[in-house]
Amino acid sequence: MMRPLWFALLLVIAAAPLALGRPLEQPPLRPGESLSGRFVQERHLAGLTAPLVSEGRFLLAAGKGLVWHTEKPFDTTIVITPAGLLQLVDGREVQRLPAARAPLLARLYTMLGGALGGDWSAMAQDFSVERRSGEAGWTILLKPLAGDDPAAVPLQSIAIAGSAFVDSVEIHRPNGDWDHLTFSNEVRSSAPLAGADARLLETDAP
Amino acid sequence: MKRAALLWLVLVLAASAYLLTRLLGGVQFQTDFTALLPQEERDPGVQQAKDRVAQILNRRIVVLIGDRERATARAAGAALAEELRHSGLTASVTYTTSGDGLRKLGESFFRYRFGLLTAGDRALLQQGRGEEIVARALASVYGPIGIADANLLRHDPFLLLPTYLADLPRPLPRLAPDDGVLSTQDGQEHYVLITAELAGDPFALAFADRFVARFDQAEQRLRAATPDLRVLRLGTIFYAEAGAAAATRETSAISIVSLLGTVLLVLAVFRALRPLGLTLLAIGTGVICAFAVSLWLFGTLHVAALLFGVSLIGIALDYCLQYLTARFNPEDGTPAQRLRRVLPGIVLGITTTLIGYLTLLLAPFPGLRQVAVFSAVGLVASFATVLLWLPALDQAAPLAHGEGLLRAAGWLWEFWEEPRRRYRWPRQVLCAALAVAALLGAWRLRAEDDIRRYEALSPPLKQQEAELRRLTGINGGTEFLLVRAADEESALETEESLLDRLQQGKAEGVLSGFQAIAQVIPSAARQRDNRTLVRDRLMAPFLASYDERLGLPAGAAHDVGDPGPLTLAAIPAGSPLALLHDLDLGAGTGGAMHVVLLYGVARLGALRQIAEAVPGVRLIDPVGDLTRLLGQYRRRAVLVLALSALLMLPVVYWRYGLRGGMRVALPPAIAVLATPPLVALAGVPFTFFNAMALVLVLSVGFDYAVFCRETDAAHRPATMLGVWLAMATTLLSFGLLGASRVFAVHAFGITLLVGTLLAFFAAPVAGTSTTNRSRLSQGGQ
Repeated sequence: MMRPLWFALLLVIAAAPLALGRPLEQPPLRPGESLSGRFVQERHLAGLTAPLVSEGRFLLAAGKGLVWHTEKPFDTTIVITPAGLLQLVDGREVQRLPAARAPLLARLYTMLGGALGGDWSAMAQDFSVERRSGEAGWTILLKPLAGDDPAAVPLQSIAIAGSAFVDSVEIHRPNGDWDHLTFSNEVRSSAPLAGADARLLETDAP
Repeated sequence: MKRAALLWLVLVLAASAYLLTRLLGGVQFQTDFTALLPQEERDPGVQQAKDRVAQILNRRIVVLIGDRERATARAAGAALAEELRHSGLTASVTYTTSGDGLRKLGESFFRYRFGLLTAGDRALLQQGRGEEIVARALASVYGPIGIADANLLRHDPFLLLPTYLADLPRPLPRLAPDDGVLSTQDGQEHYVLITAELAGDPFALAFADRFVARFDQAEQRLRAATPDLRVLRLGTIFYAEAGAAAATRETSAISIVSLLGTVLLVLAVFRALRPLGLTLLAIGTGVICAFAVSLWLFGTLHVAALLFGVSLIGIALDYCLQYLTARFNPEDGTPAQRLRRVLPGIVLGITTTLIGYLTLLLAPFPGLRQVAVFSAVGLVASFATVLLWLPALDQAAPLAHGEGLLRAAGWLWEFWEEPRRRYRWPRQVLCAALAVAALLGAWRLRAEDDIRRYEALSPPLKQQEAELRRLTGINGGTEFLLVRAADEESALETEESLLDRLQQGKAEGVLSGFQAIAQVIPSAARQRDNRTLVRDRLMAPFLASYDERLGLPAGAAHDVGDPGPLTLAAIPAGSPLALLHDLDLGAGTGGAMHVVLLYGVARLGALRQIAEAVPGVRLIDPVGDLTRLLGQYRRRAVLVLALSALLMLPVVYWRYGLRGGMRVALPPAIAVLATPPLVALAGVPFTFFNAMALVLVLSVGFDYAVFCRETDAAHRPATMLGVWLAMATTLLSFGLLGASRVFAVHAFGITLLVGTLLAFFAAPVAGTSTTNRSRLSQGGQ
């Protein structure tokens, strides 16, 4: 059940640095570099009176992983590294999933690594990839291909749009639920990681 | 004499007829080791559980297929699974666990969701920390990994069921479903897992052969397509097949050498066929009578008792050969004369041997008793055949071709007793060397009852197993816990208090995991309690504000009515949890009986304490039980050995006096005492099988010594030829077993080899008394 969301999340990350400068041509994030910014996520669930809105900041460190820190409406953090996944609420660990228990996660890392390097072939095994670029920016539309177990992919499409950076992502599910994410204040840096982020990615990683 | 011979014929025929009817009637031989336990230690419930768990464990195979290409590994996995499924040799094959199975499980559990809490959630609610569950639910709903839709939130607002399902124990901790296939990744390699349950008994050789051949074929086909494919297999059947194949090759080699050697030896010595036939007749009547009487007395026989019994009857060969070699004495022209010549030796030999065998009766172990009766009856029957039939069947004149043979056979005697003391130095050096070797060996001598350590398992299979265990985290042993209670509900409640302790033990490193029904199906009492906790400590204080915060429409149906308890029957067959049905052994026992499987047991003692602390729980350790059983049997056998040696002394004292008796006792004493340390020098520990071989060595030692003592100077060469032949045939039939790679057989064989050689070598010492000495010096003048 967790699969589509991991996909979505990681594809966003893959696409974000891709959009830096010349898309699809050269690896945008070099080892030691990181990309950070803010996000707003709207989750539209059928039957709910209003979308669930959350916001916070993210950090992607090349070769290390991702920190997804939701600040509003409350504090929760997800850390994804090649070693696995860790979730914290108010700084307290509530879930930890080693990569060995989730081969999917490891596969996603392969895909991610490929996408960061401009190689979309790993992605193309599971998705049809449609790219368009125009004057104002570019879009990428991903649709899942049927796997061995269709029930495992309750995901309809992922649309990513951006210009210099990723601006927005929309994820649609078969039951009509959809998420809309917008990104802002994206900054690329080559300074070493520090503080809580460094700890989460370098020492606490599952 | 003739009447007695006829009577004996009637008896043997009667025994044969009885044996035949029993065998044709399909007599069931005992094969399980608990049948060898003293009566009071047996428990049919435990035995049933052991059999069931052994069946679960033994009938399962696990295969891991790996390749650098995920798609290749998956294709190969699917192909092999299909092949196994259509082989007709498997009861079930599991490759893809579709999301469908999981969804069905979720659906069947859904009604009971508020009675199902993880240990952590239950503790939080008990401590009044419900807000932490609320925070976690909110984080899930908002978080990037959102698992909830509005429908789920309406029925399970705090996502308790997904939490419960995610927390269920996993027997394969390192594997996770990837697109419906249990998979793992190791470096660059992608692995997929196939498990299957066999349709037949892995220890049934024909089935094992067929299955492994089929599996090998399938693997070869896969490799032909993808040479770099890794295929790792694990299962009792693979070891059983490899072991049986090795044992079959080895057994046929050993028995051919043994049979050919014996036949050639007897033919070469007697230059006639008849002695061979007579020998077989004596042993054959022994085995038939032993078999018939034992079946009549015990109703059945244990296969182990049968094997040892037949081995022990083999000693009858000694008496038969003593009689037959008397033909080399020219002055004993008739069979009656020959029999008279050797009778005192044979009677004394058989008396001491009978004492040795019957002492086994004193041990309160059914196995040893069966061996005692079997071997004693067989021995007496063989003796009767030698006594009553052989003279009638063997009318031939004395043999005249034996001069060279006799001289050669007599040499050993000269070595000990030649007049000019030519062999004094070699004799002393040899004895000293033996003593030093025995002392060195005594230093290395130690008892071992866990014969698993010495089993020669196929090394490639062991390698694959280690690799597969590393990749999957499978680390189950053969230990398990047995929970017995009056009914299902109390069994579950017992398990619940057990699980708390096991969890504690897991934290302390006693074991790495466990699998129990109560982990998935809480007791009805616990489910009621959970529902109350959810209602009073979660729904009542937090639900209204939670719904409002998420914007769930008012009046959403949070159904907390009582659906009755979730039971084992709710788990659908074919679901990932279907294994739990195997853990329920209650059917037909009148009460409830559950098995708790254990993984990675590191401290058995601590585990035993955990089990003992909960009434109704018992730790079952089949391998440990077998080890303890073998240990008990080993200690008994040694005691019996010592006792029978003591009981033999009065017999030789009565016949030869104190000094003479001591001399006769010396060769068997040397053989029995020096053999274990000498064998230990070769790195073989002392086990029950060595002890049983020593019982035989003691009897052989007394036989050889008595034969040497009873003979006189003129007939000494013929006697020594008989002893020499007895030694050689014993070595050919049993000593060769020392070459076996099956540890128990090897230990038995090598002990017999060394012991018989020592007994033979030292036998003339028994004859060199003062009376013999004076006769010898007369003969020398």
